[in-house]
Amino acid sequence: MSPLMIAGHEFQSRLFTGTGKYASADAMMASISASGSELVTLSLRRMDLKHQSDNILQPLQQHGIKLLPNTSGARTAKEAIFAAQLAREALQTNWVKLEIHPDPRYLMPDAIETLAAAEALVKQGFVVMPYVHADPVLCKRLEEVGCQCVMPLGSPIGSNMGLASKPFLEIIIEQSQVPVIIDAGIGAPSDAALALEMGADAVLVNTAMAVAQNPAQMSLAFKMAVESGRLAYESGLGEKRQQAVASSPFTDFIGSLS
Amino acid sequence: MNNEITLYVNDHPLSLVGTTLADLLEQLDKPTQGIAVAIDHEVVPKSRWATTLLADNMNVFIFESIAGG
Repeated sequence: MSPLMIAGHEFQSRLFTGTGKYASADAMMASISASGSELVTLSLRRMDLKHQSDNILQPLQQHGIKLLPNTSGARTAKEAIFAAQLAREALQTNWVKLEIHPDPRYLMPDAIETLAAAEALVKQGFVVMPYVHADPVLCKRLEEVGCQCVMPLGSPIGSNMGLASKPFLEIIIEQSQVPVIIDAGIGAPSDAALALEMGADAVLVNTAMAVAQNPAQMSLAFKMAVESGRLAYESGLGEKRQQAVASSPFTDFIGSLS
Repeated sequence: MNNEITLYVNDHPLSLVGTTLADLLEQLDKPTQGIAVAIDHEVVPKSRWATTLLADNMNVFIFESIAGG
């Protein structure tokens, strides 16, 4: 299985994960370890001065996992740029998952603000990974302004609806010169396998793993599905046809009975 | 000389003795790994914490990394 390159960084695993929604830091670590993921997302928030929060950074760093801060909570390009600058300081990385979704009900990414922020952040030296709608035109525009990959959604965040945007993801994958990482909505390992079979370079999965009854086992299932999907893609899948094509040779031994 | 000042940290008023951002963080007794600080909406890099002077009524915002998707 070929490695994935993003901004000069090589990944053996094509499964990226999030750190949200886990019952505990231990459950999160067990799950991420089982997934084999080498890149995980984190968020930033204003520090609670009265309470100590769980330290999830240390175990992640001990396992050598690359951190990808997101700009979740940003509603405009300006806020997202500020969040990215804070994240760069907090986590000492110039990688950022750019997400701007002002509407809390559907969490749909704002294309106009995202493109503006992406362009500015690339100029400031960030490796920008934008979370966007499965919009082929927008994905090309983001590539043109210097994003190192694009992250179109399969379906709404946390919805488990899988690749509802499949026809548009196919166009994005066909056109893209940068890696395509399908983010959001992937609810089952079969969704992830399909994404990789279609030629997506990676997937990002959080909710489906974190809220499973057995998160670590579900993460292993996703790992296997992603590897399976990628292997199938690299092996060359057969074309779909309207008619049957025999898998066994036609012989005339039945005819010889008459 | 008493150099106590009052400023706002994440919108909470706070009086402290000391003059630098590094002093403030030390007094808050919070982990400094994985955090970022902004003063009046400008990010202050860690390398400047010790030389950044605080003044009365300043708005300091401290951010921490947390779990997220």
